Amino acid sequence: MALRKKIDKVLGNILIVIMGVMVINVLWQVFTRFIIGTPSSFTDELARYLMIWLGILGAAYVSGRNMHVAIDVLPLRSSNKTQKKLKLIVYILIIAFAFFAMIIGGLRLVYITYTLDQYSPALQMPLAVVYFAIPLSGALIIYYKISDILNIK
Amino acid sequence: NRLSDTRTIKLAHSLDVNHSVHKAMVKMGEDLAKISGGKMQLEIYPSQQLGTERECIELLQIGSLDMTKVSVGVMENFAPRMKVFGLPFLFRDKEHAFQVLDGPIGQELLDEGTKYWIKGLAYYDAGSRSFYTKDKPINSPSDLKGLKIRVMESVTAVNMVNSLGGSATPISWGELYTSLQQGVVDGAENNPPSFYLSRHYEVCKYYTLDEHTVLPDVLIIGTHLWNDLSEQEKKWMQQAVDSSVVYQRKLWAEAEKEALEEVQKAGVEIIYPDKTLFSNEVEDVYSDIKENEDMYNLVQRIQNTK
Amino acid sequence: MEYIPIIVLVLSFIGLLSIGMPVAWSIAISSVLTMLVSIPALPAFTTVSQRMGTGLDSFALLAIPFFVLSGQLMNKGGIAHRLIAFAKTLVGSLPGGLALINVIGAMLMGAIAGSAMASASAMGSILGPEMEKEGYSREFGAAVNITSATTGLVIPPSNILIVYSLASGGVSIAALFLAGYIPGILTGLFLMLVASFWAKKKKYKVGKRSSLKQVLKAFIDAVPSLFLLVIVIGGIITGIFTATEASAIAVLYTLVLGFIYKEISFKSLPEILLDSSATTAVVMLLIGASMSMSWVMSYENIPQNISSTLLAISDNKIIILLLINLILLFVGIFMDMTPAVLIFTPIFLPVVTALGMDPIQFGIIMVLNLCIGLCTPPVGSVLFVGVGIAQTTIQKVVKPLLPMFLAMIVALFLVTYFPQLTLWLPSLFDL
Ligand code: NA
Ligand code: NA
Repeated sequence: MALRKKIDKVLGNILIVIMGVMVINVLWQVFTRFIIGTPSSFTDELARYLMIWLGILGAAYVSGRNMHVAIDVLPLRSSNKTQKKLKLIVYILIIAFAFFAMIIGGLRLVYITYTLDQYSPALQMPLAVVYFAIPLSGALIIYYKISDILNIK
Repeated sequence: NRLSDTRTIKLAHSLDVNHSVHKAMVKMGEDLAKISGGKMQLEIYPSQQLGTERECIELLQIGSLDMTKVSVGVMENFAPRMKVFGLPFLFRDKEHAFQVLDGPIGQELLDEGTKYWIKGLAYYDAGSRSFYTKDKPINSPSDLKGLKIRVMESVTAVNMVNSLGGSATPISWGELYTSLQQGVVDGAENNPPSFYLSRHYEVCKYYTLDEHTVLPDVLIIGTHLWNDLSEQEKKWMQQAVDSSVVYQRKLWAEAEKEALEEVQKAGVEIIYPDKTLFSNEVEDVYSDIKENEDMYNLVQRIQNTK
Repeated sequence: MEYIPIIVLVLSFIGLLSIGMPVAWSIAISSVLTMLVSIPALPAFTTVSQRMGTGLDSFALLAIPFFVLSGQLMNKGGIAHRLIAFAKTLVGSLPGGLALINVIGAMLMGAIAGSAMASASAMGSILGPEMEKEGYSREFGAAVNITSATTGLVIPPSNILIVYSLASGGVSIAALFLAGYIPGILTGLFLMLVASFWAKKKKYKVGKRSSLKQVLKAFIDAVPSLFLLVIVIGGIITGIFTATEASAIAVLYTLVLGFIYKEISFKSLPEILLDSSATTAVVMLLIGASMSMSWVMSYENIPQNISSTLLAISDNKIIILLLINLILLFVGIFMDMTPAVLIFTPIFLPVVTALGMDPIQFGIIMVLNLCIGLCTPPVGSVLFVGVGIAQTTIQKVVKPLLPMFLAMIVALFLVTYFPQLTLWLPSLFDL
């Protein structure tokens, strides 16, 4: 559990920084356009890419805290034993999705954009960096869900 | 689809179904089915259903889409030498532009994408871009001073507008109408049909035909599919593409004429400025290019094309 | 063959939900399963990743984290409280007073910005906690917030009407904007009516009528908070910033005011930032996943197949309009608004214009209809925002949502069968 707490903490701090930078970045956009008169050419793009990171990494964070919105119609009506089994199935399916779509699919996306030299239009930042959030988040989700499986009581 | 003899090719683009490019693609599909005896079919997804232009290129590379159409402005991220089209006043006139695009230089640039797993097949006409403004008419570059002009999100476009004296402001196309209305930007630049179809003329009452850049559309195919096609299939494909290009250019010329008539009817003042005032302004852009030998040679070859 | 994808999509989605899979993962997994019907595994996995990532690649979405953040700052910084205290002196004596404030606020917000998600995040984070304090159920508050937020998509300015104009081949945007006022306000009024009835039935607390003196005192207290509205509205109208940027300005202003009131300290900032990030992330994963679902629906031509099957049933005008509305309602359940407008405008517009309907009226019908879809699972961005911010669950919100849907459907049918509601205002301006 100590490791899990540590990961929570680091992940939380990253999200705080992303959110803070996002606000400052958009304020800077208004400031450069309206006060200075020479609009910044990168703030829009930076904001959108930070947003992808916030959303995708945040998905891992809320997944670790089991904050996702679920519709528990069936599980509530079934016996304790079936509930445990259903929980196990749900966790295994999430792990499968995180592995195949987010890690395999995500890494292939990172690989494609990296080997094909894809850069963002304004910041000229490698798009692989933007998409790397996906496999990273996938790995964290798998960690959290395995830890959840070990803790099913 | 491997079960039957027919091959269904998925083509996505971002324009609506009334656009000349879409109509030309429909014709391409009909031609392709006819000349291949039904062995090749085209399935078209218009209106950005499968993603923006950049995202569609990625889908070609990923392998879930076969063909798409993008502006060279987007293509330059995948075939960097296409940045040359972003240079203002590169072509003397429309004939010159077609000579270059249909000649060896155009073909060379189309093939360049293959190392990025995409291959250009042809150029569709997207006319030339000019400024339109809300409150203040632009008769010469000095009128652009201090005006916030919306540009595409591309370094080349930003440099181009700034070199002409405007203040380039990247804003997404979808948010532009309200941004113009509310005065976040003072104007924008685009070709006549886009100015007309986007209804920006309801807000902007001055259209200055300085024709600063010619940014054609590029039809591309993923090499995942292209390398899988037989020589015969490639021939059929190229044949259908070529006749769609001829058809599209005809439709485009009509659309351009209609757009200018319609916006004029709606009270837009069309200004035909002295273009040399504008082209003189961008000499710096060309002298900066000398540092990049490859780009400089390319510009020379284009300018020397008769 | 063409029905296999829709069957896979619907069955896998319902199956996953029923074993207790969180909605976002149910959407994502059923989308990838549907892709596997016609795309090889590796490209399919990569495509899901790409859609989830690029689904969030939009500047307009930024309004969500920012309004969530400024809402939290307003609550902690005492601004929200002062604003609501003032509003309560005005309508607090009516049944469901706070709910009415929510609807009016959403319509005003809609008249400034074109984003329902911005409105839902702003109103939800400010009013939600207050409603709970007054004894409203969290779910009722969320339901009012979710449905009323969509009125802003019909009341101009509206980005979705611009999308429609493009898809229709150039219906006048100015005319569409004018046409949106009456249907938008009408929907808002119906929602207020339903909310009032519900509040009365549930016997929610009704405040006393305030004296003029009390109103004035509350007003003076609220002046610095009201000034936020002046800055946001004024800034957008004068073109200093866009609606999305306004949400960042709101963060700055509420932060500064919170410091001045000494109700926020630097030490409490990280926690506020983390809370808003987590709330945002819940919503973002839902949106990213639902973008994959919208994509696979387009890819498999599911919308076109549904409509060609249904439209073959009849050629009676009233029935066709009914069918079109039903198809759109169904599609709105599974698809985001923008792709739905882009796909269906070219399919339906020729049908309805052949029946003599004005394209302006049809645009409003379409948007009004798809507004309902924004409030239904599995693909409903405004629902996600509202539920995420209220920190409740989708299944609990469904019950109070149903009567609200009824209000929206009544408005939709009035607009469908009475062209004057949309065409009268534009005709005054010769548009
Ligand atoms: Na609006
Ligand atoms: Na929905």
